[in-house]
Amino acid sequence: MDIQNTQSQMRKGVLEFCILSVIRQGEVYPSDIVDKMKAANLNIFEGTLYPLLTRLKNAEYLTYRWVESNSGPPRKYFVMTASGLAFYEELEKTWKELADAVHLLTQPATPTNNNNQPL
Amino acid sequence: MKKVININFQGRVVPIEETAYDILKQYVEALRRFFANEEGKEEIINDIESRIAELFAEVLKKGSTCITDIDVNNIITSMGRPEDFEGEEEHAKTQLGGEQKQQNGYQQQANQQQFNGEPRRLFRDENHKVLGGVCSGIANYFGIDKIVIRIIAILLFSIFFIPYLIVWIAVPSSATKVIGSPRKRLFRDMDDKIIAGVASGLGNYFGVSAWIPRVIFLVPFLSFITRWNHWDLFDFPHFLSLSFSPGATIIYIILWLILPEAITSADKLEMKGQPVDLNSIKQTIQTDMEGFSGRAKKFGEEVKDKAQEFSTAFAPKAQQFGNEAAYAARRGSRGLGGFIALIAKIFAYFILGCVLVSIVTALFALGVACLGLLPIKEFIIDNGWQNVYAWGTLLFFIWIPVIGIITWIIRKLIKAKRNSFILRSTFIALNVVGWVCLICLIASVTRDFRYTNNPVEKNVTLTNAKVDKLEVRLSGYDGKYYKNHERWLEMEPFAGFNEDTAYVPNTRIRIIKSKTDSFQVMVLKMSQGYSKEQANSLAEKITYNIAQTDSVLALYKGITVNKIDKFRNQRIIITIAVPVGKRIMIDDKIGWKHNVHFGFNNDWNDDHWNRNYYNNDEDEDWEAGKEYIQTAKGLERLGSDKYSYDNDDNTVNPEQLKQELEEQQRVLDEKRKELNRGIEDKLKKIDEDKRKLEKTIDSTKSYRYQKTVANIKSETINKQTLVEVNDDDVMPSILSSYKIAG
Repeated sequence: MDIQNTQSQMRKGVLEFCILSVIRQGEVYPSDIVDKMKAANLNIFEGTLYPLLTRLKNAEYLTYRWVESNSGPPRKYFVMTASGLAFYEELEKTWKELADAVHLLTQPATPTNNNNQPL
Repeated sequence: MKKVININFQGRVVPIEETAYDILKQYVEALRRFFANEEGKEEIINDIESRIAELFAEVLKKGSTCITDIDVNNIITSMGRPEDFEGEEEHAKTQLGGEQKQQNGYQQQANQQQFNGEPRRLFRDENHKVLGGVCSGIANYFGIDKIVIRIIAILLFSIFFIPYLIVWIAVPSSATKVIGSPRKRLFRDMDDKIIAGVASGLGNYFGVSAWIPRVIFLVPFLSFITRWNHWDLFDFPHFLSLSFSPGATIIYIILWLILPEAITSADKLEMKGQPVDLNSIKQTIQTDMEGFSGRAKKFGEEVKDKAQEFSTAFAPKAQQFGNEAAYAARRGSRGLGGFIALIAKIFAYFILGCVLVSIVTALFALGVACLGLLPIKEFIIDNGWQNVYAWGTLLFFIWIPVIGIITWIIRKLIKAKRNSFILRSTFIALNVVGWVCLICLIASVTRDFRYTNNPVEKNVTLTNAKVDKLEVRLSGYDGKYYKNHERWLEMEPFAGFNEDTAYVPNTRIRIIKSKTDSFQVMVLKMSQGYSKEQANSLAEKITYNIAQTDSVLALYKGITVNKIDKFRNQRIIITIAVPVGKRIMIDDKIGWKHNVHFGFNNDWNDDHWNRNYYNNDEDEDWEAGKEYIQTAKGLERLGSDKYSYDNDDNTVNPEQLKQELEEQQRVLDEKRKELNRGIEDKLKKIDEDKRKLEKTIDSTKSYRYQKTVANIKSETINKQTLVEVNDDDVMPSILSSYKIAG
């Protein structure tokens, strides 16, 4: 068990939730999502984003439209659908529960736990 | 200085360095493989590509004239390599899979099918390992039970040892599922191969020049030659030191079979340790494979539940499934063909290797043998020209080809590009010199041996000629050179050397019947020479000690030959006359081999001596070290017969002999009967066959007859054949006429 693996697993779990929350705020271009997440200190690879968006789109949680660009070909802008919103709200609920639970668990346990953990 | 090319990338014209373009192409290729089983694969690749194109445009807008390697690498880093996001992918897939249920499940099923069609790769099995997971990895690879491979590995420990270490080092563990770091993989390098690219692949892996592993593979072959009678396949320590021949070959073949060829450019980069993202691909495959059974079960249940609901949606999917299965099957059959070709290839190289190695070995052995014979050179070869010839032969006839072939192999191995014309002509010229020397040497030495002396037989006075038994033994024999049959090089004519004396056991013994009642010993000295006079004088000079003490007749270990007179095939024929009723025994250390002759007539002439000397016409039943008794009929062996050969009991048992004789007679009779029966059967069969044959001839006879006649006419062959053709004898005449026609 190595720490990096666990950390990345933790991050990955909430990635989808974070992306959806960015898209919920309005029509976005994928690289804007990356920028916003970076601004929030959550680094992801852009390459990860595209397959995820495509999958969400195929699941009809998202839709996109082509927007003309002043330089080069048109760009894809993503927007959330009604079912996507429902999906997001479900995730949000789960996240809140989880966050509360984690907060509850870690707050008093932190000092002892850290000392007792062998590795 | 780099070449810049223009590419049309997602609707934009991008000037890009050629090397940068290669990197980009590889990256997109890696992505393509990574997303190969994704539903919206094209869309994802398109999105990523158009984003990259956008980033390119930004770079160009900043004032760069073209896209460089650095630009591409920066963009790839920000986009992430497949290995960077493979974990996230996996997660997202399973999460969405829950939502999408059957559809996704079906897709996974299809994916599995496709994975199975892919060529499998060898991994060390981290989950079931005992030592390094090599055995279970191999078992997984071939689909055999791990325990089988383990047992084989333990039984053939010595063979498996080194390959095990290599596989352990070189083959990735199945635990490399942790987000892949750029790592090397062992490939066979097909661009720089001599046999199968194993050595150059190893060189690439360890970052050394390819000829280092080549030499390491070759060293055992050299040591195999130098210690060629010592190697043993299962000799464990030799395996460790690699100082045996089959081990390296086995390792090579195993690696050949195990290692994949580096075919794609991605493979090649990975082989050299540059980061490419194939790892992640195979890792995804593995992760997917892992949960497969569980997923499949789940899928099955779900299908059962909602079979009707999805039956319509299944139809097109099923077709796709079928297509993929067919594709997988094609892949499989191609693999089999490739395997057969590989076996043929191995076989061909093996034969070639054997031939080359045996030629070199033979010459090498000859060279070593001649070096070993150097000390006796002075006893044969004249100083002066003959000596020069001898050295010339040794150096140019034997050693030059050895060195030449080895040089050639090494040059071949290191792929020396330079024209080796000068080298080759030098070798050929030197070898020609060698041939000349050899011919001169043979001619010159033959001349020295041309004449034989006039043989004169002399009596040896015995101290006690009336003894009952005479034992002929060897004195002064130290057994150092002679009779060491374990050694492949036996210095046959020489029993030993001193500073300037060689001892030649060039002795023949002839046993005849004595006319008197006492033993008689006669010695005949013979020699060759370049003239009759020299031969005579050399024969005169032969000193050979024969001394009798009681019943032992001691012969000296050999004729002494010195460096001045040289060895001119000086030889001695000792005639021992044994009176009737007396015994004789000859020690087996005397003479070169079985060179005891029974003589019954005393009227030998000069010619006879020679003929007798070269034709080994001694009694075949003669055995050294056994007692014989002289009878009126001739010599008879005392003691036990052939069947109790090792028995030291010297008494004869006539009854036993009789019994054995009877038994043998019985066996003989039975065999004879059997043979007769066999002959009868055969005769019957022949009769039957004959009848059958005649029948078949009847039906086709006239046609064949006509045909034959026509043939013969057209070929205008002499008429005798036509005459031979008669009704009873059509077949043979047809054959004969065909033969003539052909």
